[in-house]
Amino acid sequence: MIEALLQALINGVIAGTILAVPALGFTAIFAVLNYPNFAIGALATVGAYAGWVGNTALGLPMVAALALAFAATAVAGLVVQWAAVKPLESAGALMMAIASLAAGLVLENALRFGFGNDLRGYDLPLLRDWRFGEFRVGPQQVQNFALALAAMGLLWAFLRYSRTGRAMRAVADNRDLALLRGVDPARVAAVTVAVGAGLAGMGGMLVGLDTSVDPLVGTRLVLSIFAAAVLGGLGSIPGAVAGAIAIGVAEEVAVLAFNPAYRLVVGFVVILAVLTLRPAGLFGARAS
Amino acid sequence: MIITTRRTALFAGASLLAAPGLVRAQGAPIRLGTLTPLTGAGGPYGPVMANCVKSVVSDVNAAGGVLGRQVAVVSEDDQTNPEAGVRAARKLIDVDRVAAIMGTWASAVTTAVAPLCWESKTFLATVSGADSITALPHSGWLIRTQPNTTLQGRKFGEYAVELGAKKVFFMAPQTPFTQSQLANMKPPIDRAGGSIELLIYDATKPSLRTEVDQVLRARPDLIVLGGYTPDTTVLLRDIFRAGFRGKLLAYAYSVNQQMLSSLPNDVTEGIYTLAPSPAEGSGGFDRVKRIVGNDNPDPYTCQIYDQINLILMAMAVGNDATGQGIRDNIRKVSQGGGDRVDNAVDGLRAIAAGKKVDYDGASGPCDFTDAGDITDCKFRYEQVRAGRQTLIRIA
Repeated sequence: MIEALLQALINGVIAGTILAVPALGFTAIFAVLNYPNFAIGALATVGAYAGWVGNTALGLPMVAALALAFAATAVAGLVVQWAAVKPLESAGALMMAIASLAAGLVLENALRFGFGNDLRGYDLPLLRDWRFGEFRVGPQQVQNFALALAAMGLLWAFLRYSRTGRAMRAVADNRDLALLRGVDPARVAAVTVAVGAGLAGMGGMLVGLDTSVDPLVGTRLVLSIFAAAVLGGLGSIPGAVAGAIAIGVAEEVAVLAFNPAYRLVVGFVVILAVLTLRPAGLFGARAS
Repeated sequence: MIITTRRTALFAGASLLAAPGLVRAQGAPIRLGTLTPLTGAGGPYGPVMANCVKSVVSDVNAAGGVLGRQVAVVSEDDQTNPEAGVRAARKLIDVDRVAAIMGTWASAVTTAVAPLCWESKTFLATVSGADSITALPHSGWLIRTQPNTTLQGRKFGEYAVELGAKKVFFMAPQTPFTQSQLANMKPPIDRAGGSIELLIYDATKPSLRTEVDQVLRARPDLIVLGGYTPDTTVLLRDIFRAGFRGKLLAYAYSVNQQMLSSLPNDVTEGIYTLAPSPAEGSGGFDRVKRIVGNDNPDPYTCQIYDQINLILMAMAVGNDATGQGIRDNIRKVSQGGGDRVDNAVDGLRAIAAGKKVDYDGASGPCDFTDAGDITDCKFRYEQVRAGRQTLIRIA
């Protein structure tokens, strides 16, 4: 039983780390633009397809395909923002969230129209897991884990050291003060959406690498992404990472305790518990 | 000029009234609906199924229609999702006022849609397999061309025994047929001194590693995969990574060519599959091959081909183009002896000549019990070799 628990923990940390990438995108957009972008699932799907095209049609190696997934999804995110969300900005966060949900459905079906419903697999050999006594870890899992960590590291460096990253944090902390200091809100919003959507696309591709790509690959992640962001505190960058890892572990460990068919309950229970007991989440202050 | 115009109008009106009933009736076509999954897990099958129905109807219309009326097909998408299926069925029933709905694929969708059909006196023909469907209180408003899960489950159990399995694990998502599939697999395995266990997983989960670990801890020698294509793909990858060396047995509708081309060959090598077999070599099967343009049409397209042919002939034999007419007359054309026909154009001609017809279709003989189940069906046993399904036998 202990081995099963430890194995579930390993699986959960790896799944959570991958989940953290789109969760970071979701929470970054919330922090700066103050609305939950529910197109995040469809954007993750865009990334999965972009990476797949890069890898199979253009023959790109993984890191380059991941960069292509980021770039393509950043563009898709900006299109969603300008075409669907921005015109409803004055109607409030709820309308913006609904607009993003609708735009997500359009994106998902556009992909279905273009690529069909067929499952797509990356041009990668599937390797058997490495075994360490009773435990096992997959080479693909380890690679995805490393890529997810690298993406998060790059995001951290961008927010910490670049002028634009600092402007994003300033707007997230105190919008009015940032405006007084001469930060251009339109530019910061655009960069945030591009980076947030790009991260979602990278997350979609990482999940697609581990499984396969179809028009619903990102949509299946939405509840977990939202639960991770709520648990960590909507708008909190470290919170999204901690929340995603916690959700990843909880979903895997729950399999040992409950019927695995009830996995979705984990996400809902976490959202319900956090909103009831600590609405600001683990790390959030703004959300309260 | 005015007089001429008025005369013309009067003449036109009088001509319209005097026109034979046939001409006027052609203005109001008989409406039939297809409700197949164009998206979701059943997405690979639904579009082909809907096109097959349109092709049959187009041939019938070219030959003069049914009861002197043209037939119109309205196709909707159930998205392999009960909630979307109910919305689409409501549209077909309330807006399009179809006499029959054909082709519901997932058992959960059929279960949700069936009550709408019998309450509105719309006939429903389905390709879903769950036992519970024909046990619904449908009072004859439903038939299915797919063998039920009792039969399919027993075949899976017997085949697992034939493959030498002693310890079987059944991994499946929650569907209306999961429990009855397990219950019917169990007796043959028990009789052979083996055992079977069940793990139900969440079909939307991107990774099923922990679930696979749970199953492998029981050290099974055969795993039965009971899901649809997307989740079975995830499952197969995780089973391969975990290093499982035993046998795998699955539904042919999930381990299909689309899945085989998306996974490396070494992941799928050796998987055994089982599926209700279409009536290969029959006239109906050859017609479906021509309609879909390939030599290996899937069983669901063969079944919906049979459904549309039976429905068109039932309306003709009962001289009634409503759901009630189909319900009351479908068994008069599907069974009971008479001229053997495999398509509606020949059948309608025979019916017009006052002959009794007995339809034998692309999916099989298409004889139905009172509950709406088919009475006979063959199964197709295949194994994946080098990324392709290889036929072992049809029995």
